[in-house]
Amino acid sequence: MPDNLKDILSHLSTEIDQETLLLYLQQKLSDEKRHEVERKLLDNAFAGDALEGLREIKDQQQISHIVEMLNRDLKKKTEKKRQRREKMKLKDQPWIYISVLIIILLIILSFIVIQRMLRP
Amino acid sequence: MNTGKYTDIPDQELLEKFYTDRNNEWLGILLQRYTLLLLGVCMKYLKNEEDARDSVQQVFLKVIQELHKYKVDYFKSWLYMVAKNHCLMKLRDRQGKIPAELTEKMSATPAEETDTRTLLQNDHTFELMETALRELSAEQQQCVTLFYLQKRSYQEISEATGFTLLQVKSYIQNGKRNMKIWIEKKIQEESNR
Repeated sequence: MPDNLKDILSHLSTEIDQETLLLYLQQKLSDEKRHEVERKLLDNAFAGDALEGLREIKDQQQISHIVEMLNRDLKKKTEKKRQRREKMKLKDQPWIYISVLIIILLIILSFIVIQRMLRP
Repeated sequence: MNTGKYTDIPDQELLEKFYTDRNNEWLGILLQRYTLLLLGVCMKYLKNEEDARDSVQQVFLKVIQELHKYKVDYFKSWLYMVAKNHCLMKLRDRQGKIPAELTEKMSATPAEETDTRTLLQNDHTFELMETALRELSAEQQQCVTLFYLQKRSYQEISEATGFTLLQVKSYIQNGKRNMKIWIEKKIQEESNR
């Protein structure tokens, strides 16, 4: 029995990275690599569906650009929330409260000292 | 955070990191791995580039919100389901009905993969495979042999057989499924004896 026969039922590795999928779409892969991607696609419904949809995009050269824009937008969304949370965390820092308290005390002390000096 | 250095971290580990510190940036890194697939899936069902782009962004938002609420074990399968459901809702709003294609059972779920693994663990399966291959229709047998045994691409098979690329894909998919069903049936019959 040829060993390859086992491949028919085996789908232990079905992961296809985005770059490879793009190269497959652009027909820039060797026959061997094409076969490998197609074998994985048969067992990877998510990627199989995606490939069907991506083929319907009119300007295939634009796909990378669209993905880049979407990733940029995603990055903004996830970073923004982090920054906001960090600002919230900043409020929880005790040294800020201590510094503010010291400054207020210094102002009060200065005021008292100046008042006393000004008394006849 | 430099996202490039996280390429080798598995999805599950990124998800664990997010559940530990609730930093959305982990989700950003994780979701970026699927942007192309999400765009493709949304495009497949919505058939409109602008709607597909908007939907990917909405799926991103939904995922970020949902993951804060509960724990997900199989991220990829779950994300695929979220994207499909989102498209389903969009289509329902647009057309008032659900296309039959979307109501089909999702394939390649973790449960199905487990079934196949169990089948592969049975030594007898391999003995039955040669017979199962011979049981297929001539077209399926030809395409499955060229694809799996001779490692040819769809394009090469199409050129060699005269079938279209879609026919080649369909013969391989159906051939594989029929072989699996035939083997499962045989194993079941033998265990009942």
